[in-house]
Amino acid sequence: MSEERLISKKDVLEKLRISYGQLYRWKRKGLIPEDWFIRQSTFTGQETFFPADKIIARIERIKEMKENLPLDELANLITSQVNEKLEVAFSRLRNLGWLDEQVVKICHINCGKEADKQTLPLADTLCVGVLSKLEKTARSEEIDLAKQTLDRAISKGLMERVRSERLFLYLLRKRLAAAGISAEISLVIISQEGAMFDPGIEVVQSVDLQGVLETIKLDFGHQDGSAGNARRSREEQEPSENG
Amino acid sequence: MNDKGNSASISGAGTIGGGTYTRITISGAGKITGDIIAEELRISGAGKVQGRAEATQIVASGSAVFTEDVVSDEMRVSGSARVEGRAKVKEMKCSGTFKVAGGLSSEYIKTTGDLHVGGDVEAEIFKATGGFKIDGLLSADKVEVHIGGRCQAKEIGGARIEVERGGWKEKGIILDGLIKLFSGGGIAELRTAQIEGDEIRLEDTIADVVRGKEVEIGQGCHITLVEYSESLRIHPNAKVDKQTKI
Repeated sequence: MSEERLISKKDVLEKLRISYGQLYRWKRKGLIPEDWFIRQSTFTGQETFFPADKIIARIERIKEMKENLPLDELANLITSQVNEKLEVAFSRLRNLGWLDEQVVKICHINCGKEADKQTLPLADTLCVGVLSKLEKTARSEEIDLAKQTLDRAISKGLMERVRSERLFLYLLRKRLAAAGISAEISLVIISQEGAMFDPGIEVVQSVDLQGVLETIKLDFGHQDGSAGNARRSREEQEPSENG
Repeated sequence: MNDKGNSASISGAGTIGGGTYTRITISGAGKITGDIIAEELRISGAGKVQGRAEATQIVASGSAVFTEDVVSDEMRVSGSARVEGRAKVKEMKCSGTFKVAGGLSSEYIKTTGDLHVGGDVEAEIFKATGGFKIDGLLSADKVEVHIGGRCQAKEIGGARIEVERGGWKEKGIILDGLIKLFSGGGIAELRTAQIEGDEIRLEDTIADVVRGKEVEIGQGCHITLVEYSESLRIHPNAKVDKQTKI
C-alpha cells in the first residue's frame, strides 16, 4: 500500500472553509477520529496533518449533513464505532423497496403485526439491502447462497472491513460441459473491487457493499424524528448546535 | 449505618457494597466497594469509591477518591477529589482541588481551585480563575482563563480563547511580589506549546505557537510564533518573536 497523502491542518481549514472552532468541536464529538490527527515536526514547530482524502470526504459529509441533523446524532451516524449499534426501522426499509416477500423469507425476518415498529441491526440491514439488489437477476437458490455467504462474512468481520475496503459481492455462474452433459454452477464471492475471473464465468451481478452501507446510513440520516429514534441516544441535545 | 429505602449513609466509619442507590452520604470515613449507580452521592468526610461511580449529582466537600471512572450530570468539588479513571460530567464546578488521571469531559467546567488532568479536557465552556495543569489538549468552544496561579496545558484549541491577567496582579507590584514570595515563587502565567482558535485574546501567556483568525497578544505575553489570518494586535508590553499572516 502506498503512503497516504497528507494535508496540513492549515490547508484543511482554508480549503474547506471551516474554522478552528468547528474543527475542534467536531473532534470533541468524535466526528473526526483521533488517529487522523498526525503530529509532525516542521521547522516552525509541531504541526498537525491529516490523511487528505479521508479528512476532505469526512468534512464535506459533515458540512452537508449538519444542515438537517443535530451534531450529536450526526456523530452517532458517522462514527464507525457506533455504527454497529445502528438500527434501521422496518418502515424505512419498506419505503426503500428493500423488503419484499422473498428477502423477508430468506432473512428470517419476523413480519408480524408490529413489524413496522421493529428495527433491524446494521448488519442485517446490509444483508437485506444486498439481497434486494440481487433479487431481480438471481434465482432463489442463489439468493440463499448469497445470504449464507454474507452471514459467514459478517461473522468473520465483514462489517469492519467494509468500512475501509471497497468490497463487492459478485454473483457468478459457470457452465460446465462434458460428454454431452452440461451443468451450471453458481458462485458467490466477496472480494475487493476489480476481481477478475476466468473467461468461462459469467458475472451475473456485482453489488458494491460500501455503496449499500452508505445508502443505509444516508437514508437513515435524512429522516428526521420518528423512525430514526428507534435507537435514540441517551445524550440530550446540546444547546449550542451552531457548528 | 442506616438504610432508608435504598439509600445509605455512613457517618462513622463504614463500608458499603456497590449497587444501585438513591442517595449515598458519607460524613465520616467511608468506603464503597464496587460500582455504584446513585441519584446523589455526597462525600463530606473521607470517602473512597472502589469502582465506577455513576450519579446524577456528586458533591465532594471532604476528601474523595474514585478508583475508576466517574459519570455524573453535576459534580461539585469543594474539598479535594481524585479520580483515577476518566470523568464524564455535564456540569463541573471545582473550588477545591480536583485531580483526574484520565481525561475530563464536561459541557461546562468552572474551576476556581486547582485542577489537574492527566489527559485531555473537553468542554463547551471552560472557565478557570485558579490554576490548572492539563497534560493533554484543552479543547472548548469557549476558553476563559483568569490567571490565578500556575496555568499549564499541553495545547489549547477552540473557537474563542481568552486569557486574562488574574485579579491580584493588578493590585500592584508589592502584593504581586508578596504573593510570589508566599507561593514559592509561583508564577501567575499560562504556559502552553500551542494555542489554536478563531478569536484569541491573551495576557501573561508563554506559548510556542499561536494560530488564529483574530489574534490579540496582550501584556506580559511571550509568543515565539503567531500565525493569523485576519488581524493581529500586539501590546507594547508583549514579545512576539515571529509573526506571519496566512
